[in-house]
Amino acid sequence: MSIDFGTLALQAVNVLILIWLLQRFFWRPVAAIIAQRRAAAQAMLDDAAKRQAEAEAQMAGIEQVRAGFAQERAAILAAAQAEAASLRAAAEAEAASAAKALEAATRVRLSAEEKTAMAALRGEAAELAVRIAGRLVARLDAPALRAAFLDSTLRELATLPAELRQGVRVLTVTSPAPLPPEEQTACAARLRTALGGEVAISFAADPAVLAGLELAGGALSLRNSWRADLERLRAELDHAA
Amino acid sequence: MTSPLANPVLFHLGPLGITAPVVVTWAIMLALSLGAVLLTRRLALLPSRTQALLELLVEAVDAQIRDTMRTEPTPYRAFIGTLFVFIFTANWSTLVPGIEPPTAHLETDAALALLVFLAVIVFGIRAGGVRGYLASFATPSAFMIPLNFAESLTRTFSLLVRLFGNVMSGVFVVGIVLSLAGLLVPIPLMALDLLTGAVQAYIFAVLAMVFIAQAVGETKPDNDRSDA
Repeated sequence: MSIDFGTLALQAVNVLILIWLLQRFFWRPVAAIIAQRRAAAQAMLDDAAKRQAEAEAQMAGIEQVRAGFAQERAAILAAAQAEAASLRAAAEAEAASAAKALEAATRVRLSAEEKTAMAALRGEAAELAVRIAGRLVARLDAPALRAAFLDSTLRELATLPAELRQGVRVLTVTSPAPLPPEEQTACAARLRTALGGEVAISFAADPAVLAGLELAGGALSLRNSWRADLERLRAELDHAA
Repeated sequence: MTSPLANPVLFHLGPLGITAPVVVTWAIMLALSLGAVLLTRRLALLPSRTQALLELLVEAVDAQIRDTMRTEPTPYRAFIGTLFVFIFTANWSTLVPGIEPPTAHLETDAALALLVFLAVIVFGIRAGGVRGYLASFATPSAFMIPLNFAESLTRTFSLLVRLFGNVMSGVFVVGIVLSLAGLLVPIPLMALDLLTGAVQAYIFAVLAMVFIAQAVGETKPDNDRSDA
């Protein structure tokens, strides 16, 4: 058994060359791609961790915003409730004021209506009194009544101051119905006597007088009639009301 | 039948006589190099099946270096990995008819063992310097220098003999059985020879790692013998 040292040396050189070739074309490129993949995976993991951290931070921010939303909602609700209470109070005050104003207006209107109704009632009462008086007058003896009113008129005329009576030059005698001529003559004579002078006397008729006589001339105005009596009565009623 | 120990010169290249193991080794080198170039042309982050197999091989070598040497595999990957790949390919080259594995010849195994011997020295000096490496022979005491020196030679010789004996014996046995029996009879023995070849490639690489790790561990300034 012998050993060929030349072959030994050649084989050693061959293996060294093979080591270099495989290092150049196999071990280094494959190891490099493995390292590159590991680096890429690590970068992806780091990026994922970074993104996870960012997502967690964003989630925390969102939670804070949500908490802010809750607080803001509570504040808005409180403000809305306060505003609603204020509006309700204002509406209640306004309603109370309107009710008071309406009550006052109603009172005023009712008072006015009451006054109007009372006035209407009084008017109706006066009208009724006039109708009653008219019926009564119609049932009385007209000449005797006119004579009685003439007498009472002359008596009242006599109570007036003399200057007033003597100052009358024109006199109008108003009766409910036209006086007969003989009564006009007699009436004019007695009036001239009572007035004490030349007086131009004219006669007029007015159914509103109801009964009696009404004298008017110059400063003289003497109303001895039921119309005057009823007006006085109405004035007294109005004054009493 | 020629002797398995015979190593005839096929042709001469200048003063050098080129023997069959050298030619087969060149063929293996050419095949491995071309294969490496072709297979690593299109490496990508998203690996193909072929790339995944290549990466699996590199990862397996790295893991073995880490487990055996307790260190980062980068400085030793090319040497250990190439030793394994070359021995494995050489042992399995017997599958090609008419080809005798280069590792069945003493010169190839001696060259591999010599490279391991030199690698132990180089990596040991790189780790701790010349003085550190030489001082490693004096561990645990100076009385151990002759024994440690003898050990470094004998373990290299054991590498040579182990690989040569196993591969040569397989080839020898298959040759004898083939000469005595029919065509199909040696097939189980050839399969066993393939298994032996794979195991011997693994053992050679692991022992190379152990020797280098021992030298690196003993020569490091912060020496940790438990890692050796």
